[in-house]
Amino acid sequence: MTTGLHMKPAVVKAAETLLVDMRAATSSLSYAALLTDDGFDVARFPAKTDGARFAGMASSMQALGDAVTHELSIGASEYLIIASGKGHVVQLRVPGQELVLSALFDNDATVGHALAITRTFAQKMAGLLA
Amino acid sequence: MAEHVILFTGPMGAGKTTAIQSLSEIEVVRTEANNSERHIVDKATTTVALDYGEILIGADEKVRLYGIPGQQRFNFMWAILKKRAEGMVLLVNSDAPDPIAEMLFFLDEFRELYDRGGVVVGVTRADVKAGPGIADFYDALERTNPDLVIPVFTVDPRDRDQMENVLLALVANIEMRAAFGMASVAGAL
Repeated sequence: MTTGLHMKPAVVKAAETLLVDMRAATSSLSYAALLTDDGFDVARFPAKTDGARFAGMASSMQALGDAVTHELSIGASEYLIIASGKGHVVQLRVPGQELVLSALFDNDATVGHALAITRTFAQKMAGLLA
Repeated sequence: MAEHVILFTGPMGAGKTTAIQSLSEIEVVRTEANNSERHIVDKATTTVALDYGEILIGADEKVRLYGIPGQQRFNFMWAILKKRAEGMVLLVNSDAPDPIAEMLFFLDEFRELYDRGGVVVGVTRADVKAGPGIADFYDALERTNPDLVIPVFTVDPRDRDQMENVLLALVANIEMRAAFGMASVAGAL
């Protein structure tokens, strides 16, 4: 029987390391989380936060994004962005994995920069799990 | 065109998505992800945001069917979805460890839908494993919520006719209450 990625210590460790590296790469990163497609928290930055509720929300957003692209027949969803006055959330799937990377950036980062950083680290996570 | 919004609630694996698929006359909007908890509920995928379908009753009554994700980690979706609903079909699977406790939990969580329109309970998978009988569910409702009138059916969520009976009982109750400003009468149907 398959075990969820959030229950695999090696995956959790790799995810924690990746998020620390992501923060080191950009000081505008306020919060980031890796979660399973079905809403389980795998790791988050800062680590000493309760990521359970956000993991559920992020997985719902991801699935709703997929439902919208399906409804409009525009292929698979590539990323989601939520922009607000105090920052923006960028979210995308880790390629080839049942994992989502969701990251909150403050307004010091442009949306383009935030998307580029998030994409880069999602690909790094994919590489770590390959 | 008159419209109703009905919410399908209950625990993971109770058959909410299947019931909406059986009833819906449009392609169901699904938000499924692979299930990481197969050691708890052995199903391949699970709803993580909502299900959505539609059915026409008669010529001009549209019923919008929303399904919740059953796990408590998605209870922020419960709060969103219950705001717009007028009534609830509460499904519980008979082969769960404690289906009566599950029924009472979801009834408590979505109690406002009883006040707004009505509630019916559907017990699923009763043919898979001998669980509590219908009388046991009624006894629990009488013991915990003596003022509520809630009908309990045994249903197969794959069976459109059975699910339609459940839905029509609920819609009739909502309409009668709206027409006469009366308490729930679904149990008398």
